[in-house]
Amino acid sequence: MADIKITPRNVISISKKEFRGLKTEKTFLLIVLIQFFIALFSTFLVFGLASFYDPSALGELKLKNTNIALVDNNNNNELYQFFGNSRVSLIPYENFGDAYTDFQSRQVEAIILISDEPSQGYGIINMEIYLPKSDLKAILVSMQLKEPLEKFEQSVRDIRIKRIAGYTPLDLNIMDESRTSSTYFEFLYVALLPLLMFTPAFISGGVAVDLITEEFELKTLDLLLVTPVSLLDIVSGKMLLTVIIAPVQAFVWILLLMLNGIVIYNVAAILLFVLIIALILVLASSIISLVFKERGLSQLFYSLLLIISFLISYLFTNSPLNLITRLSIQSIGGLESGLWIGGYSLIPVILFVVLIGTVKSRYTNR
Amino acid sequence: MHGWVTIAKWEFIRSKQRFDRKSLLLLFILLILLTAASYAAVRTGLNMNNDIYQVAVTDPDLVSIIETDQRFEVRIVDKYTARNIGDKADVVIIGTNVYGSGTRKSAAAIEALKIALKNYRESVLISFNDINNTHPVWLTIHYLERQENFQVLRTDSGTPATSEGSGTPGSNQDEISALEREEADADETVPTTITDLQPKSNGKLFNEQEFATPTTFNPPIPFTSILYSFIFVFPIYFISQFYSSSIMDERTNRKCQLVLVAPLRGMDIVIGKTVPYLLVTMGILGVVTLFIKGLPLDLEMLKNSILILAVLFPIVLLFFALSFFSAILSRSFKELTFATVFLTVIVSGYLFFPAVFANVHVVSSISPMTLIVHLIEENTIELNEYIFSTLPFYFVAVSVYVFGTYIFREEDLFTQKPITEKILDCIELYLIGPFGSVFLLSIILIPFVFMAQLMLIVMLFNLPFPFSVFTMIFLSALIEEIVKSIGIFTLMKKGLVPMNFKSAVMLAVFAGAGFFVGEKLLLIITLAPIATSVFGLVMNMGALLLIPLIIHIAGVMIISLGLYNRGVKYYIPLVVLAGIIHSLYNIFILRGVLFG
Repeated sequence: MADIKITPRNVISISKKEFRGLKTEKTFLLIVLIQFFIALFSTFLVFGLASFYDPSALGELKLKNTNIALVDNNNNNELYQFFGNSRVSLIPYENFGDAYTDFQSRQVEAIILISDEPSQGYGIINMEIYLPKSDLKAILVSMQLKEPLEKFEQSVRDIRIKRIAGYTPLDLNIMDESRTSSTYFEFLYVALLPLLMFTPAFISGGVAVDLITEEFELKTLDLLLVTPVSLLDIVSGKMLLTVIIAPVQAFVWILLLMLNGIVIYNVAAILLFVLIIALILVLASSIISLVFKERGLSQLFYSLLLIISFLISYLFTNSPLNLITRLSIQSIGGLESGLWIGGYSLIPVILFVVLIGTVKSRYTNR
Repeated sequence: MHGWVTIAKWEFIRSKQRFDRKSLLLLFILLILLTAASYAAVRTGLNMNNDIYQVAVTDPDLVSIIETDQRFEVRIVDKYTARNIGDKADVVIIGTNVYGSGTRKSAAAIEALKIALKNYRESVLISFNDINNTHPVWLTIHYLERQENFQVLRTDSGTPATSEGSGTPGSNQDEISALEREEADADETVPTTITDLQPKSNGKLFNEQEFATPTTFNPPIPFTSILYSFIFVFPIYFISQFYSSSIMDERTNRKCQLVLVAPLRGMDIVIGKTVPYLLVTMGILGVVTLFIKGLPLDLEMLKNSILILAVLFPIVLLFFALSFFSAILSRSFKELTFATVFLTVIVSGYLFFPAVFANVHVVSSISPMTLIVHLIEENTIELNEYIFSTLPFYFVAVSVYVFGTYIFREEDLFTQKPITEKILDCIELYLIGPFGSVFLLSIILIPFVFMAQLMLIVMLFNLPFPFSVFTMIFLSALIEEIVKSIGIFTLMKKGLVPMNFKSAVMLAVFAGAGFFVGEKLLLIITLAPIATSVFGLVMNMGALLLIPLIIHIAGVMIISLGLYNRGVKYYIPLVVLAGIIHSLYNIFILRGVLFG
C-alpha cells in the first residue's frame, strides 16, 4: 500500500521540474498566443457577421445613403413614408427594364417590385426584392430595408388585424428609451468570457497528457521510480502544475477585460470554478494517459472527451459555460451558485478515487 | 521495390497494432456518446444564454409570455417590492410599464425583451391561421448577378464607374425580358399557407431565403457552410495528431536511428511515413463526402464529389506538412502539442473566416473552403479559382516538406536544439546544397509571405479602417524583410561567407532581386482577382517596376550592412528598422488611397 502514498514534498519538486521545462521551451508564449488568436477570431466572427443582423450594433459605421429602385405602376405612396427616416432612398421607376439597367450600372443597389394590392384590401401584398448576388452590398441593403419594411408591415396589419375576432395585441410601454444592442453584451458575456475562462483548462488537460505519456514513451518513468517518489507522486506533481496554471491565465484574462472597462462580478467564484473544471479535465486526461501510455491514442481520447463535455455544456441551465456567464453578470443568487459549484466539485473527488484505483492496478500489473 | 513502400507498409502494420481491443472499445463508446451528445444539443438548442436576464413582473400573465425566451428568469412581485427592487432585477414590469435599472446589462435586457415580444406576437398571429390579415406583406427575394466590383473598404456607392456596364445592350434586353417573364410567373408562387415561412429543404443544404415577411427577413449569411466545412476539417485534425505522434515516435528513443542507417534516403522515410496517413485521411474524407452529398448517381455528381476531394487534398497536405515540421522541431511532447495547436488555429482561421462570406464577397475565394461551399451547393468551380486558392497551400506544404527533409538527420532529430536553431539549420543546408542561393531562397519563401499576408487581411478585417491598413502595411513589410534577410543572416551567423563589405552588398542585391522576381511571378499567376482592392495594392505595389526593385534591395541592404557592421546579434532591431523604412515607402505610394 506504500505505493499509493502521496508525499507533498515530492509532488512539489516534480511540479517545479515541469515548470522549468515550460519556461525553457517558451511554451508559455505559445499558450498565450493561441488564446489571443482565439479571442481575435471570435471577435471577428461576431462583429464581422452578427452586426449585420443588428443595425444598431454597427453604430459608428457611417453608411452612406443607398438608392433603391421601386417599380410601382400605381404610385403606391404608402410605402415612401416608412423610408423617411432611414438611410434608404426609394427612387420610383416606370418599368423593370430601366431599373435593371441602372442596377447594372450601380445607380441603384436593389430593385423592389410591389403588387397592386392596397393596405385595405384582402389579398397579400407581394414584394419582389432583387438583391445583388455575391456582394457585401446585399447584406447592407437587406439590413437597411428590414426596419422600414417592418414598419410598413405593422401599418398594414393595424388596418387588417381588426378583422380578426379575439385578437388583442400585447402592449408594453417601454419607459427606458436608451437604444443599445444586446448583441455586444451577449457576445461578451455569453460567448467570449466563458471561452476565455475555459481555454486554459482545455490546454492544461492536453499538457497533462503530454507530460505523463512522455515518461512512458521515453522510458524515463522507471528511472524516476527508483528514486523515493511513488507513481502517484509523479502524476500528482504533473497534475498540480497543469491545474494551477489554468486559473492564473483566467485571472490575467479577467484583468485584461477589466482594464478595457468590462465589469465582471464574482471573480473569486469564477476562478474557483475554473480551478474545478481544470481539475476535472486534468484528472480525466491523466487517467487516460495512465491507461494507454501513448501520446497519439491518449490525445485522441482526451479530445473526444473534451468535445463531448463541450456539447454537454450547452444542454442545461447552470451548465459550466452558462454558470460562468451568470456569475460574471450577477444573474445568479449566492445560494444557487454555491450549490452548483459544490455539486461540480464532487466530480474531481470521484475522478481522484478512479485515478488512485488506476495507479494501484498499474502497480499490481508490474 | 522502392524504399518508401517498405516504410509505408511498416507504418500500416504498426498503427494497426496500436488499436488493441481495449482502445477500440473506448473509441466506440466515445463515438456513441458523441453522437448522443450532439443529438441532444441539436434537440434542445443552445442553452448557454439561459437565465442571464432577471425580470420582475407584477402581472402573473406576463410570466409565461416572457419565459418563452430562455434568456429571461422571471419572478412575480407585488407593486411595493417592484418599486423598490433596485438592482435585484434588470427589468421591472409594473402593470404594462417596463422599467430598466439604467445599467448596461439592463439596456441589453430591454433590447432582448423587445425581440422576445416581437417573436411572441408572431407566434400568436400565426395561430389565427388567417394569413391575408395576419401576415399581409410578403417578400420574395431574388439574387441578380452583377459585374464584380471589388470593394473591401469603401461603402459609398455613389461613384459608378462607367466602364462597368454589363455586356452589350442586346443581351441586357434579353435578360430583362427573361426576368420579366419570370416575374409574371411569380404571381402564382405567392405563398398561401403559413408553412411557406419555414425554410424549404429541397435537397439543398444552404438555402438562401426565398420567401419571408418583413419580420422574418434576414441578410443572406450562410452560417451552415462553416458547419459543413468543419465536418470536413475535423478528421484532418485528428489524423494529423496521430501522424505527428508517429514522427515524434521515431525521434524518441532514437528508434529512427536504425532506419537512417539502412540504405534509404531521408526522402524515402518521409514519404513512406506520410503516404499511409494521406491515404487514410483521403479515404475518410471520401466517406464524409458520400455522407454529405449522397451516392453519386450520374457523372456530374461524381465529378462534383471528386472536385471536393481535389480541393481538400492541398488542405490535408498543408496540415500534414506543418505537423511533420513541428514534430521534427519540438523538443518534447508538450511543445509538439502547442506547435500543432497553434498552427492549427492559424490555418483554421485562414480556412474558415473567408468562407463565411462565401456567397457574399469575392475576397472569400482566398480560402479553399469557399470552393467547397460552392461545390456542396451544386455549383461548379473554375480552374483559375482552384489555382488561386490552392496554389499557396501546395507551395507552402511542399516547401515545408523539403525543408523538413533536409534536417531529417541524426544531428537534428536526436538533439535538444532550440527551434530557431533548427530552422536556421534547414536554411543552411539548403544554401550549401547544389541549388542554394539567397536569390532562389527569396523566391521559394514567397508563398509563405503570400499566405501570411492573406492571413493578415483576415485578421485585420475587424480593426477600424485607417488603423487596419497601417498595421497591415507595417506587418507586411516586416514579413517581407524577414524573408529576404533570413538567408543572409544564416550565412553570416554560421560563418559561411567572408564577412566583408563586398559580400554584404552582393548578398543584399541577390536576395532583394530574388524577392522582386518571385513577387512578380506570383502576381502573374494568382493575384489578378484581388489586385484591385486596397489590401491587394499593399501586397504588390503595382506597375512601377524599377522603384520596387530598388526598395526591395534597399531594405535588405540595411539589414545586410548592419549585420556586417554591428554583428549578427543586432538582427531583430535591424529587421524592424528595415520594416519601418519599407512601410514609409508603401504609405507614400498609397497616399492617394489613404489620404485622398
